[in-house]
Amino acid sequence: MTSVMHGYAELAATTNFSFLRGASHPEELVAAAMARGLAGIGIADRNSLAGVVRAHRYEKANRTADFRLAIGARLVFCDGAPDILSFPRDRAAYGRLTRLLTRGNSRAQKGACLLRFSDLLEAAQGQQLIVMAASTFDEKDGAKQAATIYPDLGDAGLYDTNHVERPDGASRLLERLRKAANGRVWLAATMTYGRNMRRDFGRRLALAARTHLPLLATNDARMHTPERRPLQDVLTAIREGEPLDRIGLQLEANAERHIKSDAEMARLFSDAPQAITETLRFLEGLRFSLDELRGDYPEELREGFATPQAALEFFAREGAKFRYPAGVPAHVEKSIAHELALVEKLDYAPYFLTVHDIVRFARERKILCQGRGSAANSTLCFCLGITEVDPAFHDLLFERFISPERNEPPDIDVDFEHERREEVMQYIYTRYGRARASLTASVITYRARSAIRDVGKAFGLSEDVVGALSNTIWGRSSSAVEAEATRRAGLDPTEKRLAQALKLAEELIGFPRHLSQHTGGFVIARSRLDETVPIMNAAMDNRTTIEWDKDDLDALGILKIDVLALGMLTCLRKGFELIEKHYGEALTLASLPAEEAAVYAMISRADTIGVFQIESRAQMSMLPRLKPEKFYDLVIEVAIVRPGPIQGDMVHPYLRRRQKLEPVSYPSKELEDVLGKTLGVPLFQEQAMKIAIVAAGFTPSEADQLRRAMATFKHVGTIGAFKAKMVEGMVARNYRRDFAERCFKQIEGFGSYGFPESHAASFALLVYASAWMKCRYPDAFACALLNSQPMGFYAPAQIVRDACEHGVAVEEVDVNRSFWDSTLTEGALAAPHPRHASMRGDIRSTHKIQIGFRQIKGISEADMQPLVALRDKGYDSVRDLWLRAKLSPSVLEILAGADAFRSLGLDRRAALWAVRGLNRAGDKDDLPLLKGLSWRAVEADARLPPMPLGEHVVEDYRHLSLSLKAHPVAFLRERLAQKKILRSEELATLRNGVRASVAGLVLVRQRPGSANGVIFLTIEDETGTANIIVWPKVFEALRSIVLGANLIAASGRVQIEAGVIHIVMERAEDLTPLLTLLSGDRGSGGKIPAEARADEARRPNAPDSRAPREKIQPKLFADASAPASDAELRRVLPKGRNFH
Amino acid sequence: MRARGLAKAPDAPLATIAKINGAQKLAALDARGAALGLRPGMNLPDARAMHPALVCADADPAAEAETLAHIADWCRRFTPLAALDAPDGIMLDVSGAAHLFGGEASLQADVEARLRAQGFFARAALASTPDAAFALARYGGEREGRILPATLDAAALARRLGDLPLAALGLDPATLKALAEAGLRRVSDILMRPRAPIAARCRPELYARLDGLLGLAKTPISPRFEAPAFMAERRFLDGIVRREDIEASILSLARDLSKLLARHGEGARRLEVSLFRVDGAVMRFEAGASRPLREPGVIARLFRERFEAASKANDGEAFDAGYGFDVIRLAALEVERRDEEEADCFDIGNRQGVQASLKAADLADLIDRLGARLGVRRVTRLAFHATHAPEFAVTAAPAAQYADKGHHIKPAAMARRAAFADEAGLLPARPIRLLPRPEPIEAIAGVPDGPPLRFRWRRVLHEVAAFEGPERIAPEWWRRDESALTRDYFRAEDTEGRRFWVFREGLFVSETARPRWFMHGLFA
Repeated sequence: MTSVMHGYAELAATTNFSFLRGASHPEELVAAAMARGLAGIGIADRNSLAGVVRAHRYEKANRTADFRLAIGARLVFCDGAPDILSFPRDRAAYGRLTRLLTRGNSRAQKGACLLRFSDLLEAAQGQQLIVMAASTFDEKDGAKQAATIYPDLGDAGLYDTNHVERPDGASRLLERLRKAANGRVWLAATMTYGRNMRRDFGRRLALAARTHLPLLATNDARMHTPERRPLQDVLTAIREGEPLDRIGLQLEANAERHIKSDAEMARLFSDAPQAITETLRFLEGLRFSLDELRGDYPEELREGFATPQAALEFFAREGAKFRYPAGVPAHVEKSIAHELALVEKLDYAPYFLTVHDIVRFARERKILCQGRGSAANSTLCFCLGITEVDPAFHDLLFERFISPERNEPPDIDVDFEHERREEVMQYIYTRYGRARASLTASVITYRARSAIRDVGKAFGLSEDVVGALSNTIWGRSSSAVEAEATRRAGLDPTEKRLAQALKLAEELIGFPRHLSQHTGGFVIARSRLDETVPIMNAAMDNRTTIEWDKDDLDALGILKIDVLALGMLTCLRKGFELIEKHYGEALTLASLPAEEAAVYAMISRADTIGVFQIESRAQMSMLPRLKPEKFYDLVIEVAIVRPGPIQGDMVHPYLRRRQKLEPVSYPSKELEDVLGKTLGVPLFQEQAMKIAIVAAGFTPSEADQLRRAMATFKHVGTIGAFKAKMVEGMVARNYRRDFAERCFKQIEGFGSYGFPESHAASFALLVYASAWMKCRYPDAFACALLNSQPMGFYAPAQIVRDACEHGVAVEEVDVNRSFWDSTLTEGALAAPHPRHASMRGDIRSTHKIQIGFRQIKGISEADMQPLVALRDKGYDSVRDLWLRAKLSPSVLEILAGADAFRSLGLDRRAALWAVRGLNRAGDKDDLPLLKGLSWRAVEADARLPPMPLGEHVVEDYRHLSLSLKAHPVAFLRERLAQKKILRSEELATLRNGVRASVAGLVLVRQRPGSANGVIFLTIEDETGTANIIVWPKVFEALRSIVLGANLIAASGRVQIEAGVIHIVMERAEDLTPLLTLLSGDRGSGGKIPAEARADEARRPNAPDSRAPREKIQPKLFADASAPASDAELRRVLPKGRNFH
Repeated sequence: MRARGLAKAPDAPLATIAKINGAQKLAALDARGAALGLRPGMNLPDARAMHPALVCADADPAAEAETLAHIADWCRRFTPLAALDAPDGIMLDVSGAAHLFGGEASLQADVEARLRAQGFFARAALASTPDAAFALARYGGEREGRILPATLDAAALARRLGDLPLAALGLDPATLKALAEAGLRRVSDILMRPRAPIAARCRPELYARLDGLLGLAKTPISPRFEAPAFMAERRFLDGIVRREDIEASILSLARDLSKLLARHGEGARRLEVSLFRVDGAVMRFEAGASRPLREPGVIARLFRERFEAASKANDGEAFDAGYGFDVIRLAALEVERRDEEEADCFDIGNRQGVQASLKAADLADLIDRLGARLGVRRVTRLAFHATHAPEFAVTAAPAAQYADKGHHIKPAAMARRAAFADEAGLLPARPIRLLPRPEPIEAIAGVPDGPPLRFRWRRVLHEVAAFEGPERIAPEWWRRDESALTRDYFRAEDTEGRRFWVFREGLFVSETARPRWFMHGLFA
């Protein structure tokens, strides 16, 4: 080889943040460019900067002196101009680029960006521009939108610089560009082995000669290695929505568009070596780095204070006085001073003031809020009213929140009432302006299910096969489809095409698919935010998001505030309002009577339906064993039933120690400090990290890296190294290997679902608050829960039932009594269910709950508003209601269906008959003259049969999702008893280990990710709930019953542990068809119901209907297995909610 | 569906799915699916969660309707008056015909048994009104309960039918729901109650259908029946047996049909000959046409080809004439508008100036005739296929299908598209002639991707004077065998001005150490 200069930089790298176009992660592209010895790489995604931070982060972590990363964007215009890569030379030019993209985003709906060539001319100052050969703008970029916004859009070929017949167009475009950016315009040339590569190249040379613009070599790379070609093709197929077989020419003909070495590029461009050298000259002009973006936080000056720090100090001291009315204790004083000093040193005062202001706004509007997460470690946050837990009291360390060593911004997360969070968000927009505040993005990546779905479609696999594959994955798994599961779905994983699809799906996992808005992370800037990062319209009106997610912001040191929504806060606020209104007791989270024994007694009995966090099956089975007695026990309870401790197998050791079945011991002296509070068992995230530091010799920042590595998905390679380091480190320090491995496992679990202690403490406060309300005022609590739906674990039926069991009377919805919300009215407390007899003295309720209209399905608040407003002394007939409130007949029908006319002496059937009898059009009552007259023709009595109670109950479920009349299972009790199926309350009388059967409506199916595939089933009969455990083997055998039954009979051994009763399922039967007996139609007289048969007859080639039935145990009820027409019933009755 | 190879597991339950309100739901199930507790209307994901092995196919209402129509067609063996009662019923008017089959009970048994033998589950009912038959077929209980003697008086009728569910009246779901909510579920519930209050709350169909059920009102049946659009029929006192006679009759029937078609300005796209044997067996032959047909000769020839093909497949006998056929029917099952001018060129014989259209018609006829004899799928034309792989860029597609969709292939346009996609004066990107398969050549070329300097093809040595390329085409990894290699194509011109399309197979080093060379096409 001659001594041709070898330096080359690939400046046109497209990452997979050009969604469904680039086939490599930004990190992979940078790594490949480094590995191939390039002088640098330019990341330029289509009208987006979404991937640049990742490239930056990678480059920073692997920085070498002779490699440069250039940050830019590929501008794709909607007016036919060729794509132009724009790389800012400095910070100011970068700001112009982000504003340009923001402008394009703001014109389009979510996901698109509409730019015109003239936009670039305005922003061209300080940009270095590379003009590509042609425009790649297409349908997916929003061509349709563009056409509606710009009807005048010219001929798409107008600017085509490669178009032979239009040399003028190209020259004109380049001339204008040169005027706007003189000396900073390059012409791109590519050598990608296309059909007319040489001809195109020749033309490019000619154009360069004619316009005197330098030619610049690029490979227009879309992947880091040619091995990505299959995935690249699949992405194209996904984008075009057509299978690979059919999109043919839209695919790349070859795999050439990857990162090539400088030698290879030099060889390709041997005819024009200057095009290679130009890449280096291009790179030299760029001085901008993303690191320059740090520290653009608003100043947050407060009137009357010289500096933000002064203001913060003032607010903190004021808050402390409020928190400690009896005088601020010395240790609190000390903490505050310590924290303030640190905040001053790191210059975070403005950030705290922002959060303080947002919380102040919420308080003013009476929106309940509470900080969560590591902010609860801060006395400052406590005094500022951001958090409610006193960190000094719980011995929480501020350094876990902010530390100078970690050098990363603090992260304050605040929960607000879910119904009213929008008010807070709009306040932030108004206060800072849309140019300065925006939501962060969250990058939606391919998971196993979505990957197999899209890849399957690209391969042209049938919906059926794709569905079968994706359904072998439960929940939001991120691991690929297993061969075993594939076989179970009736497919052969070794079949070539399927094998290819599965392999590519796995490769696709972790690829970004699109940007979505983060649940509530706000970024706020001092100057214009759109000069830091492009802003785009979110799917929701009035919301904007930036193009970066929280990891990107962390990496750049940009502060953000999480404004989150929490249903329980809504419920608590509504509950507090009810208590104040009806009982005159004004309460807040802070003023709630603390540590009441009655509340802990209730929790220890697992009487926690509706209580925050501890209402799930897994939590409830833990409570009687843990028997919480004080607040810190709740903190542990919240943290312990989490994947981290469960995967680390820490739960049982803790319980045994807690129950004093095992002595408390520590793995070592040094860990006694770390694990002292939790009886020697690590339960919190910090403890696991601390173990890595104390016992395995990690530095704090290594421990943090470890946690991050776990949390961020698919950072292959690093985890194995961490594991070895931790386990070996601990073994070397004389820890037992199995303990070390369990600790590591736990960190793995924590990665995605860990609870730090402070977070658990914040949540525990809400646990206590909700439990307190449930204990003292079950009426207000249930009423508030009903008015905050949907939220929590249980359906309204269980909430109402639980209230009744605690002696609270509940009234059916009624047109003359109900309001939109459920309300409390004067009443008397009945005796609670014997099960809750011990609470008799603790409950202070005296009111009954009047169910509100919101409980009726299919009715809107606007419909009911005139009904309530015009009700006056009440309605005396259906007709009266119809004429006065002017409700539409369909709304009246829904009200009648909900049985809301009882106060008029009409039951459901009579009311429906009356509503349908209203002559709906041209009725004489419509005439104004006759409006007041009540006369109408007397019609013959239709002598309708009375509706049986069972049918009423079913209809209640249909319209209200609950019934106050009776429990559906009660109607079947006689038949169930004949088959020796017990009432759920009878289970308590049994001995451990005997066999028993129960039957009930399925309320919840839960398969916690951490429980090895065990399913927890909660069923309900007329006497209460029963808990069923289904082992995976049994589940596979009885899958259809467990997942499909509304009413299930389950048999198995009774397992009693610490007062918690489970039945371990051995057999099960779907009894749903029995429920058809509840409706008035007593069976079909032995005739074959038509529906099932008719459908069968409709299909050609139906297999012989004498085909063998599924082989299961003999049926308990012959009529429960008849092909009854129960589809309708299955829709009406609760299906059971599934939790993963 | 099983027959189509959809199900790999033969024991798996089967369902059809349809998109209803944006959600995938089960539309219909086989007996296994129903036995497993699946129900029509269920969400597909729920069903799948319950039974991962469930095999699904998209519901195809058109195919289902077609199947039903086929069954109705087949039912004409019992009576010429067979009608569709969509979506799942067939109505037969067997007035005075039952005795031919040994009475009503045996007719009913015969219908059910024969359909079951074909794999259809059917329930047959007999009654004196269509409404009653409709109701009994679907809700009439056991077989004997599904025959309603014509001799019952009103009271007995009310007793027999009173227990039927109201759904038996074929009412819309909303009306049924409203009635059920009022506790009215059976026919007797309505019969025993005053009319006025119920009528005020329901659509008038309720009482209309009720009267129809009880025979109080005769619902007109004619609109429910469909007959072939155009039909010609000949009856013979003595059954005819010989094929020549039959073919002659078909020609004469075709003349009758042709007149009928001409009068309406239509041509036949699908034709059917039915041969009714004296002993009751019916034989049908269907033939499709790729243009609207009206020419008697062409029609007759189509069926001659069909008989010829049938006899080849059937030991030299097109059909078993037995004691002979007493009825021969020729029907146009599907028709299409046909322009008069086009008809002119045949009927009036204006031979000048219609050469082009004559040719088109001849070609279509040729395709039909070849199709009738060889099978439609085996008569093909070349079509473009969107792929980078040159040898797969052209595929053979059924010719009739092309004619069907109006995709007439214009060879000139095709050539232009292939050859002159680029600017004038330069060599086109693809050769005019592609060799059936690439032929190995010996070439001398520079590595890694240089052009051939000279090469030997079919023993002749060519010196390359000029070239363009390489154009790199990678194999279609998802369907070709894994050993396929990337090709670098060159357009090469030798010293004598001949132009070739050659390629190097295999990327140097990364795919192979010794790339091979091939000749793949010739430019004009």
